[in-house]
Amino acid sequence: MGGSFSKLFGSKSKEIRMLMLGLDNSGKTTILYKLKLGKAEKTVPTVGFNVETIKYKNMIMNTWDVGGQERIRALWRHYFSGTDALIFVIDSNDQDRMSDAKKELYKVIGDKELKGCLLTVLANKQDLEGSLKPKELIEYLELEKLSGHNWCVIPTIAINGTGLTEVLSWISNNLPN
Amino acid sequence: MSSMNSLAGASGKLLRRIHRACRPSLDEPNVALNLEICDLINDKQGNLPREAAVTVVKLINSRDPQVAELALCLLDYMVKNCNYPIHLQISRKEFLNELVKKFPERPPPSYTRTQRLILGTIAEWVQTICKTSRYKEDLGYIRDMYRLLRSKGYDFPPVKSEDAAVLNPSDNLKSIQEIQKEERLAQSAKLQELVRRGRPQDLREANDLMKIMSGFKEDESLEETKQKVHHDIEKLKRKADILDDMLNNASNTGKFDSNDETVSELITALKVAQPKLQTLIQEESDDQVEVNNILALNDRINNILEKAGYLKTGEITSSSKGMNLIDFDDDDVDESNQQQPTQSSTNDAIADLLGDLGGLSFNSTNNNNNNSQAGNLSGFGAINLLASPDQGNTREQSPAPPVGGAFDLLGGFSTSQTASTPTPAPAQQQPPKLDPFQFDFLSSSNNTTAQSPPSQPQQQQLYQFAQKDPLKIEYSVISKVSNEVKLSFKFTNLSISSSINNLTFSIAVTKAFELKMSPPSASNIVVGGSPITQNVSIIAKNGDIGSSGIKLKFKCDLIVDNLGALGDTGVVTINV
Repeated sequence: MGGSFSKLFGSKSKEIRMLMLGLDNSGKTTILYKLKLGKAEKTVPTVGFNVETIKYKNMIMNTWDVGGQERIRALWRHYFSGTDALIFVIDSNDQDRMSDAKKELYKVIGDKELKGCLLTVLANKQDLEGSLKPKELIEYLELEKLSGHNWCVIPTIAINGTGLTEVLSWISNNLPN
Repeated sequence: MSSMNSLAGASGKLLRRIHRACRPSLDEPNVALNLEICDLINDKQGNLPREAAVTVVKLINSRDPQVAELALCLLDYMVKNCNYPIHLQISRKEFLNELVKKFPERPPPSYTRTQRLILGTIAEWVQTICKTSRYKEDLGYIRDMYRLLRSKGYDFPPVKSEDAAVLNPSDNLKSIQEIQKEERLAQSAKLQELVRRGRPQDLREANDLMKIMSGFKEDESLEETKQKVHHDIEKLKRKADILDDMLNNASNTGKFDSNDETVSELITALKVAQPKLQTLIQEESDDQVEVNNILALNDRINNILEKAGYLKTGEITSSSKGMNLIDFDDDDVDESNQQQPTQSSTNDAIADLLGDLGGLSFNSTNNNNNNSQAGNLSGFGAINLLASPDQGNTREQSPAPPVGGAFDLLGGFSTSQTASTPTPAPAQQQPPKLDPFQFDFLSSSNNTTAQSPPSQPQQQQLYQFAQKDPLKIEYSVISKVSNEVKLSFKFTNLSISSSINNLTFSIAVTKAFELKMSPPSASNIVVGGSPITQNVSIIAKNGDIGSSGIKLKFKCDLIVDNLGALGDTGVVTINV
């Protein structure tokens, strides 16, 4: 029904649901508040989740940021339903846990409830020396082989906002009509 | 996009099945398919409970009354089989409004069949899950809808209690783990629903719930669960008491109606509970008191079920046999004792072998089988319990022993048991009770050897009885007359570094014999210390001790420095 209304009244403001996941300490909450408030707030590890509405162009993006600690990951699935775009945040400098990140990413995007949703992988913390570059990340995550999802990798620095607008614009440009 | 998605995967499967279960060409509900749908929901959870509820309520509002009725039937199956995840969905305001969408503002002069069914359904929910569900506070809107309809003048058909019974929490004992699992399932369903609703208060609740579910916040429910389990065990105990009373009455009067509803219900309840008790023992293993409590109850249930089994097979007298937890007998001895008169076929005393054994255990001041059993965790009851959870059942089904021979023997020795009263067996048949605090063995074994137990056995030939490092048990025959043999047991500490403490030694004889045990000379042996001795008399009930071996079942517990608690059990045939 919502669909027919928006058709009738044109795409005045489209509401979408974005889900932000990733290992703990990858920067999800910082990204959320940088997008919402325009500044980098000091954050504490998220036990639970945060949700904010972000307005971008003519879109209302309901953005869910769910805690990334191991014990909370089992609860991620409760947030999958109805997701239009998945933002998977990776600490590009945390090479030790890169394999964990990869494992979790594949677990998430393999879920039926997220079938066909957009996938944005954020190569966060690009300001830190020795961070994996987007190309390296694509290779490591074997994204080229991924089918069933429209994806992209965007280099970001959450604390100063670098790359975040690109994330929103990529998502808004790639949403299926 | 979401509608595209919903056609794929589990949700598409679900919707297709629901439509199939409610298609108008179906004359009557397809039970198998309905259950399949419930299984699918239970299996996949997530969004399926909601999707199922939404789809079904649409079908209930179908113009075709046949479809509506099939959908109501399916809804009934879902509510009864999918528990909280579905209960949460049917208690949503949107769902309830949809359910009564076709109800006019004022009640019509006569209801359609569908309306009557809907009213009945709501009434049933109000009288069951809204009152008895563990999460009834989440189901408030159902009650609100009920009141609203009432206030508008709608009448509700009476609820059939047998329909309602299914929706009430079962009386069956559940293990902590099972309850916690249900709890987690409910939490999951609730989180899913809260996140979906997404109102500020829902999100706050969701955040709280996540903290609990991920273990960052104390889950009060665990304590609650434990309390509930404790409560349930108490309830089970009362059931056992009632059944025991009824069985005792039945065997006293010689009348037993195995078709009696109460009796068979109680029997079923006890049987169902037994495997759970076993699980609970493992779960509560850090709570000794509770474990003992449960072990005692389990023994009790074993006894009662066995008794019930005999009563059922029509052999009322043999029910007084009680349950012999130690299956321990010589068949040939039985034969030779067949002529013995039945001394007791009533159930007024407790003296099965285990009872004796428990009573003879030195560190137990109590003759009550259950209590001593419980005090001695590694007692035979415990072994039995852990080894064969279905023992109650199998025993119950096994054919009753012939009333003749075996039973005559048993009559004198063991009778059924009532744990509520620590009843000592009648004196004439009772192996003497041992009072550990009296230490009157000098007078009780009235022969001279008893006065100097440590020295006497040395003159006799020592035989090996059992050895469990560092403890060695030997015995010697002190004296033998026609109907009695006196033995002296010698316990030696073989270790060169550890002392043995709290040694307890219990033995049991076959039913043809009686047993008298004197207290041991000590219960601790230091390194290199002198051995403990203990005198035992075995009396043949038929007057002839015979020259063949006597079977002894023994159990030995001890604490060894650096090694902790040890135990040994076994059956040994001694030569006299």
